[in-house]
Amino acid sequence: MMYGTKAIQLVKEIANGEKGQLTPFSSDVFSEVIAECSQHFADLRSLIRKMQEAGLDVETTKNEDHYGQLIHHLSLVRNKRCLMAYMYNRAEILRNLVWKVGSDIPEEIQEKLSHSEKEYFKKHSEALKSYMSRVVLELAVDMVPPKDPYIKVRVLDDMGEVELPSDNTANFARHSMHFLKRTDAEKYISLGKMEELTG
Amino acid sequence: MDPLLQESVLEKAGSIVRRVGSFLKMASYYDIDDILVEEQQRVPVVFQQAVNGVDIDPSAETHCVEPGSKVELPYWLAHELHLRKVAKMKVPACFNQRTKLELGADGASVDLRSRCLYFYEFGCKIAPLVGDRDMGSFLLSAFRTRYQKILAKAHNAAFTAHSKLLSYLTKEETNLYEAAQSSMAAFKKWRIGGPRFERASVLGRKRKEAN
Repeated sequence: MMYGTKAIQLVKEIANGEKGQLTPFSSDVFSEVIAECSQHFADLRSLIRKMQEAGLDVETTKNEDHYGQLIHHLSLVRNKRCLMAYMYNRAEILRNLVWKVGSDIPEEIQEKLSHSEKEYFKKHSEALKSYMSRVVLELAVDMVPPKDPYIKVRVLDDMGEVELPSDNTANFARHSMHFLKRTDAEKYISLGKMEELTG
Repeated sequence: MDPLLQESVLEKAGSIVRRVGSFLKMASYYDIDDILVEEQQRVPVVFQQAVNGVDIDPSAETHCVEPGSKVELPYWLAHELHLRKVAKMKVPACFNQRTKLELGADGASVDLRSRCLYFYEFGCKIAPLVGDRDMGSFLLSAFRTRYQKILAKAHNAAFTAHSKLLSYLTKEETNLYEAAQSSMAAFKKWRIGGPRFERASVLGRKRKEAN
């Protein structure tokens, strides 16, 4: 099998997924690619050792072993790029998610994340929260510029008695309709528990 | 102009160009499409040097490559070996004479997708290496003819009517088509007015419409 074929599977997974959607973390393929990297490194070293044993200068001699090292080196770097791109593009989706739904990861997303990604999400939302409290500004609200401070919403999920950020409480029974402050409703709409009514 | 000043200006300009160049290169390091461009299509190469301890020649029985062996390699490997004169790259099949003739005759109805999903991007990478001077202008004229048709179709008819057209498009062209359609849809939505808040798209569209 051609070098780098495993790693491209990860990249294709990102490419084929719907834009901005997460797929479950492919930890099996991920660790296979890392094993492939270690194999390239071992092959590289054994070729270097072979040259040293023959008494050749590793830095200047350009023989068939040198070019073998080159190919292993290039393959290793290629695999690294694929791994990095996989992590980077997933992390980008996670960062966007923090802005949308706040610090709690919805369960359907949680199960798709690796351990380090959960950690990353947590730390990123903490950093964002501490920044917002320092500048005393809730940056995640009004991502769409408001036309009116109040909106009409319909509840899609039974939530019962809920305390709202503006210190009111409301009973969000399924299918009930409410007239709420935009800032109170925004988070629930992002989570898909309410929808905005128009017209 | 003072020759010393001129020299320093030139030097400055050169360093800016170099910096922009390396920035552009860094910017695409994590780019999914850029990684796929370098993998999708195999490039035929002829080895100039012997290589030991690798398994890249499927016809070889040992872990070696002899000089003169013809192997098909992914671009990321082929172009590095080409630059170091370990192997010589040849023009890949998707840019052969036949494709050029077909694109010249009726560019808009050629199935580029099956030839190379990243036809233009791949062409841009290949062009400076294989010494084909006409490649750049050929790619540009092909893109120009097809771009017109794509935009016209995207703005006019219903989505289903275009499944045949869509199966001919490269990745870049598909993106253009979708951008044209979504901007049209956004314009219509803006004209009618509708909900401005929506469920976070990352959560998917599992839930059925309530009414």
